[in-house]
Order: sequence, then structure tokens, then C-alpha cells
Amino acid sequence: MRRALPLLIGLLAATSCLSPAARADDTLSFPVLVPLTGFLSLEGTSQRNGAVLALKQTPAGVAIASEVVDTGTSPEAAVTALERAAGSGTVGAVAASMLGTQMLAMLPLAQELKLPLVTVSGTASITEQGNPWVFRFFPGDAVTKSAHARYVVEELGKRQPAIIYQTTAYGQSGKAHLDAAFKALGVTPVFEEGVDPAAKDLLPVLTKALAAKPDVLVLHLHSGPTALLLRQAASSGVTLPIVAGSAMHQPSTAALLEPAELKGVCAETAASPISGDTPEVKAFTDAYRTAFGKDPDAFALGQYDGMTMVLEAVKAGARTPDAIRKALSSETFKGLAMTYKSDGKGNMAHSAVIVCYDGTSRVPTLVKRYADPTLAAK
Amino acid sequence: MAERRSAVILTAGALALLVYALAFASPYGLRVLTVAGVYALAAFGFQIVFGLGGALSLAQGAFFGVGAYVTGILGSRHGLGFEATFPLSMLVPFLLALPVGLAVLRLESHYFALATLGIAQVLHLLAVNLPELTGGSNGLAGVPAAVLFGWAVPRGLPMAGLVWGLVALGGLIGWRLARGRLGRSLTMLRDDPLAAGTLGLDVGRLRLAAFGISALFAGAAGALAVHTQRVVSPEVLEFPVMVSILTISIVGGRGRMAGAVLGAVLLLHLPEWFRFLERGYLVIYGAALLLTIVLAPDGLTGLLHRLTARLYGGKPRALVEAREPPPPPALPEGLAVEGLRKYFGGVQAVDRVSLDLRPGTITGLIGPNGSGKSTVINLLSGLERPDAGRVRLGGQDVTGARADRLARAGLARSFQAAALPAGAGVLEAVAAARLAFDRDAATAEAHAHWALDRLGVGELAGESCDGLPAALRRRVELARALVRRPAVLLLDEPAAGLTDGEKADLAALLRDLAGEGMAILLVEHDMGFLLPLAGRVLCLDRGQLIYDGPAGEVRRDQAVATAYLGRAGSA
Repeated sequence: MRRALPLLIGLLAATSCLSPAARADDTLSFPVLVPLTGFLSLEGTSQRNGAVLALKQTPAGVAIASEVVDTGTSPEAAVTALERAAGSGTVGAVAASMLGTQMLAMLPLAQELKLPLVTVSGTASITEQGNPWVFRFFPGDAVTKSAHARYVVEELGKRQPAIIYQTTAYGQSGKAHLDAAFKALGVTPVFEEGVDPAAKDLLPVLTKALAAKPDVLVLHLHSGPTALLLRQAASSGVTLPIVAGSAMHQPSTAALLEPAELKGVCAETAASPISGDTPEVKAFTDAYRTAFGKDPDAFALGQYDGMTMVLEAVKAGARTPDAIRKALSSETFKGLAMTYKSDGKGNMAHSAVIVCYDGTSRVPTLVKRYADPTLAAK
Repeated sequence: MAERRSAVILTAGALALLVYALAFASPYGLRVLTVAGVYALAAFGFQIVFGLGGALSLAQGAFFGVGAYVTGILGSRHGLGFEATFPLSMLVPFLLALPVGLAVLRLESHYFALATLGIAQVLHLLAVNLPELTGGSNGLAGVPAAVLFGWAVPRGLPMAGLVWGLVALGGLIGWRLARGRLGRSLTMLRDDPLAAGTLGLDVGRLRLAAFGISALFAGAAGALAVHTQRVVSPEVLEFPVMVSILTISIVGGRGRMAGAVLGAVLLLHLPEWFRFLERGYLVIYGAALLLTIVLAPDGLTGLLHRLTARLYGGKPRALVEAREPPPPPALPEGLAVEGLRKYFGGVQAVDRVSLDLRPGTITGLIGPNGSGKSTVINLLSGLERPDAGRVRLGGQDVTGARADRLARAGLARSFQAAALPAGAGVLEAVAAARLAFDRDAATAEAHAHWALDRLGVGELAGESCDGLPAALRRRVELARALVRRPAVLLLDEPAAGLTDGEKADLAALLRDLAGEGMAILLVEHDMGFLLPLAGRVLCLDRGQLIYDGPAGEVRRDQAVATAYLGRAGSA
């Protein structure tokens, strides 16, 4: 007993020393809490890189610190990471996970700790909780799915879509918004089915969809399943137009396919940095490639824009989380992807684009921009 | 002494956690500690079903998720408080476990594991595809904090206190269960399921009880997890939760409640210590786990146990006083068998065998290898079901009855290879045979001590079964049969491997037992041992009885000589 007790206390005390100690100085901390492992690791890494690149733009006279923590894919890990980050000195804002269930878990704690969460999560419900501490720098499903449906109906003139979506929070949320958007356009899908992200063969669902005689395939899948379905559609000789979800625009998704397999495929997204439609976006893409050795996607650009807006607020004098929250809530910010302005719920991004592949390269062309497509759809 | 030492270590560990929580832990540290407590609670249940019972239930994570959803739905949608949601979160997984258990618990090893994994998958699919009830893939947000009789338990120290208070209570309950009749019976079942039935243990009922109890613990943990996270989503039903519980149990020490706590505290803190490595923490985490398993194959608590035994010596625990078990049931009609048949596919292993085992008699059963002797014993003891024939025990028809029912009715048997559990103590191994009869484990041990004394090996009570010489193992196994005071005793080659002196001792003992009114059936190849002992001998050849008569005449029987003993008549 005499030996064991001090030993264990010492061990546990050492544990507490390993946890982040409170900083005594006035450094502002911007923790990056994103999924670097698990099924969202590709997108989470884009988020991380976008945030890290933005945080290199240190405003003069302000000391900035940042720690990257992997949240995996469980809500529990995300909440723990947020609690950990909150103990690391003065936190200005948090670059928070794009996984909807993790955001939903972090929101009550963020409100309690009074910390702004800056995210690119597309899950609609995160800004429907009445929580003033969340800011989404990526168009929500209400925006992107309206653009998605409008492009199918108004540009392609199709009225019998078959929708294949993912049985995840991302998939279910997108499917619900696609249904609403098509309904607003007076179109009823001829087929709808959810698929598990772990499915290794999507030919059965593709066959069932084609049997419903659609005139367009509308996908709302994660990166891997999008590539798998497009490859199987190409090898099966499917000639129907395909309009995919935002996962398609990611260079990492296109890298899984041959350019020929992408011919005629379009996708909705917030932005397509590699398409480089402005000199500023082109400069961002070059800087990203230099820093990380890979191409950026819309998630990286959205998170970059979000953290840049946070730093703009700091530059303008905001030194507390509440001051940053107020700036994010009230200011308008012209970012690289679009102009951001809160709708009062934390939705900062209100435009979406459609990109299409011509079958000769993996770099898509921007074919249509929708500024607040929900209003137009109404 | 060893128990006192364990208690001191446990108390020191609990105090250290308390000091850490009160004096050192940041809010983040308290959250990690709280989550560790949640997993420890789930692992308690898993220690019972898997650690003690040996059933690799991959549904433990699913029961955790069900408990979480019950609290999430009732708390966020119906506004019920903790005093209502917590018990319901335990009850629903328990009620789910009962029918599921009845369906899958008869499956063996990996089939059982796969079936339980399937249950988890079905529940996950339901959670995703019933959005009106479960919130679908997004789950349910806005689950309130635990409200206990009007007091909303804040996060940080109060929540950690609530969780660890319940961990202490759950650990105490689990510890008492593990040390009591249930835990001992489950250990017996895990180590030798075949022998467990013949010792009177109802295998199906025990497994169902363990499965149900594991679900209670998992449901409690799931409820607390939701109050900690304030959101419930399908991730709580996913396989990583199950893997965490399994890893905690293995790393902490299989079957030990302290192991669940130690494993949970270590496994939840380990990744946090290396978070600064971004993705790299997984490599360190994996290497640390691998190292732990290599250095401590019996878990951290097993390692601690060995280290303290080396440091302070491994003095045996105090033994209970020997006490004679109640006398055997009076079965004046003994065991009567008529026309017993058994087929294995196209092979007729036993063909129309009839025999009578009367109280106070010793009957020999001989025959060449493969003649059906062991099959007859297996049929009589309930390990095999006969295809035809009738078996009556004490006048009651027990044809096709399960082994545990026959054992409780007064029948005992031994095995050809002495089936003693590895790592168990001698007293513990013998006491296992009384668990189905005595009211508690201490009484079973007192009776076991009596049986060991009766066989002249009382001094072995504090020893381990491992490393016992063959003759002593035989005696210990005989003590297991004897301790139940059976009316009918079936012995399968009890003299194999014994010296002449030991055989003489055994013969004297068997005569004494028969003298007390026991009916004994002795399968034996050693005619020098058997024939002077048995009043009557049966000889089997290719499943058929070819001799049934006095022991003195068997050597002169032509059919027996041809089939088994040889022309010289001396086997």
C-alpha cells in the first residue's frame, strides 16, 4: 500500500502533465479538429490542409497557435477533442469536423464553452439547432441540392431522375433535400434507393435504377462509392447523363477513374479550385500544391475561406471567441470560392456550381453557377 | 493473504483515481476519465459473458447502442429524467437479449460470434433506416444532461462522479457475481462445456443468464455515454465500440472486473497521450497494445498479480473447513437400461444393449477399442441421445435426458482423460461439481474439502491442478464425482496410468463406495484390477453385448476370448 499509492498517484499526475497545459501568454489558439482517419479521412485531410494553409496568414501583432487533432469518425472522439482544445489557452475559434454527427455532438459543448465552430459540414441540421456558435462555410444541402435538381431539370431538361444515395447522415440529408427540390420543380423521381458506404458492388442498385426507365442518374454518394458506380456504369455501357454529388468534384475521386469513364458526368459542388476560374483561386491552388503535394478540393477551399474570415476578424481587433462570433455573424466576407454572409443561423455559403468532365482529363469545367438557388427554385 | 493484497491494490488504485479527479484533472481529463468509466461499465458485462463464460458475444456493442438509443429517444423526445431512462436503458437490452440468446446461445464458438455480430448489424440498419424513431443517420441531437431527481448533473466532476459511482457499484456487483456460484459455474462452462453438463450445470440457462447480465451492463453504459455526448447516432451501434470493449477486456485481464477498469482507463487515455502526433498516434497506440498483450498475455491485472506474488510471495488462501455433503438420494432400483441403440451416420455404435446397475454393486464393462464402451457411458450420462431404447434411473424414465438433469438426479461420471480445468485450484475444481447443488460457493468448497479428505488428498486442496501427477489427477477427478454423493457412478478407465499400489488403494475405495450403496459401472482394460473388484461383467463387441455374467466366468467365455481377451484368456 505504501509503495503502490505514491506510484499510482505519480503516474496519474504525469498523465495530467501530458495534457495540454494552459498557456500563460495572450496567444490566440485555433485548434483544427477534423477526421484524419476513418471513412472521411480524404475529406478531413482536405479540411485540415485548408485550415492549416489559412492559419499561416498570421495577422501582424497577434501570436497564433494551432494544434491538429484527429477526431476519427465517432461523436465521442470529437467532443473529447473539443474539450481538450478548450483547455489549450485562449481559443479564438475551432476548425471543426465536417462529419455531421460529430458536429451535432460538439454543438452543445461549444455553446457551453462559448467557442465558434467553423466547418464545411454539409449536414443541414447542424444549423437548425438554434446554436449561435456554428458557422458553415460550405453551402448546405438546401443550397447544393437545389442547384443539383435545377441543373437536372432546367439545363438538361430531364424529368425522370433515378436517385441513388448513401445510407449515412450525409446521404439521408442530401436525399431529403433532393426530394424537396425536385418537388418544387414539379418532378417526381422514378427510383430512389440508399446504399451502404461499405458496399463493394453497386451493379445491383444500378440495374434496378435502370429498370425504372429514368432519363438521368442523380447520385448523392461519398467519394469511393461515386467512383465505383461511375466505373460500373461506364463498363455496362450506360449512356444516360449522370449528375453526381459534391464528392465527384474532389480530385481524389476523379483520380480513381479514367478520364474516358468521366465523359458526360457532371457534379454539383461549392467550388472547383483546380478549375481555376480566377487568378486568386489559381494562386491558392498553387500554394496548396506546394504545401501539401496534392490538388485542393472545395472542402479545402471552404475551410480556407472560413479560417481566413476568422483571421480577418482578428485583424480587425477581435481577440475573444465572442468577438469573433459576432464578426462572423454580422460581416460579409469575399472569399475565394464565393462571398460569405450569415443567414442568421450560421449558414455562410449560399451559392453552388455545376462542373462537368469532357472525357479527356480529370479537371472539370465550371458550367453553371447558382447564387442562392433555393430562392430561385421557389 | 493474496485476497488482502488484491484489496489493498484495488483500494490504492481507487484512491489514486479519486486524487487525480479531485486535484489534477482538467475538464478534458475529467471527460476522458468519464468516458473510461462508461467503457469500464460495458466491459464488466463482457467480462461475465466472455471472460467467465467464454462466449464471444459480439452483441455487447449493440446492447450498448440500444441502451444509448433508449436514453436518447426518451430523454430528447419525451423529456423523461435519468431515474426513468437509466433503468429502462438497462431493461430494453436485457429484454432483447433473452429471445436473441435463446436463438443463438446453442451455437458453438465462431458460429455464435458471427450470429451475435449479425444482430449488431441488424440493429445498426434499423437505427439508420427508421429516421422517425431514431433520427436516421444523423441520430438525435439535444439529449439533455442526466437529471437526477430534479438536479441536472453538470459535466466535469459531477458527471465523472456519477459515472464512477455507478462503475463502483457495477464493479462490486460484477465481482460478487464472478466469485459466487454464477461466476464459478460460468468458468467451469468456459473451461470444459462437456464436463460442465455432467457436473449438473444447466449450460443453456447459465449462458442465457450471462448474456442477459452482459446486456444489463451494456445498456447502463450506453445510457451514460449518451448523457456524456448529448447526442445519439448510429456510431454507437458500430463495430468499433465492440472492438473497444473486447480490447479493454483482453488488455485489462479476461474475467476480472478490476481488469475492465484498468483496461478502460489505459485504453481511453493512451490515444490522448499521443494526440499531438496527428495520425501517427494510431501507430503508437497499436504498438503499445501489442506490447501489452505480448508482455501480459493474461492481461494487466494478471501481470500485476504475478508481480505482487513474486514480490510478496504467493501464500495460499485460507481453506474452508471440510463438511460432509448431504447423503445420496435413495434410488433402490438403480439404473436400468433396455435395448439401447445409437447410430453415427451408417455406423451402429451401440446395438440393443441392456443392463442393470443395482445399488451396492460394481459392474465391469469391457471390450476392444471401438466396441462402444465410451458411447454407452456417454448415452447413460446424457452426452449423447439414444436412437432407441429406454433408460430408467431410480424407476424414473430418463431416456434422452440432458446431462445436467441426470447429474442432478443422482448420476455421476468420470472421463477417460481426467478433465481438470487448466489454471484452476484443486479445491475450486472439485467444488465446481457442487455448484449446481449448494447454495453458495463457500458451501461447495467445504463439501469439496470433505471429498478430497475422503480420497486421502486433502493436502492438495490449496494446490493448482496444473502439474499434478497422473495418479493425483485421477483422484481429484474421482473426488469431483464423489463430492456429489451420486447414487450411480460411471467410471471410464479410472486405473489407467496408476501404479499397482495406487490401483489397490482405488479398488479399496470403490469397494467402500459400493458398500455404502452406490451402483458403480467400471469401464476398464486392466483385467487384473477389474475382475477381483466387479461382481458382474459385460463385454461389448461392435456395439453388441456378447457377455453378461459373473466376473469369474468371463475369461472362459469363447466369444469374449475371440473378440477381446484372446485365446490365452489374459489381457
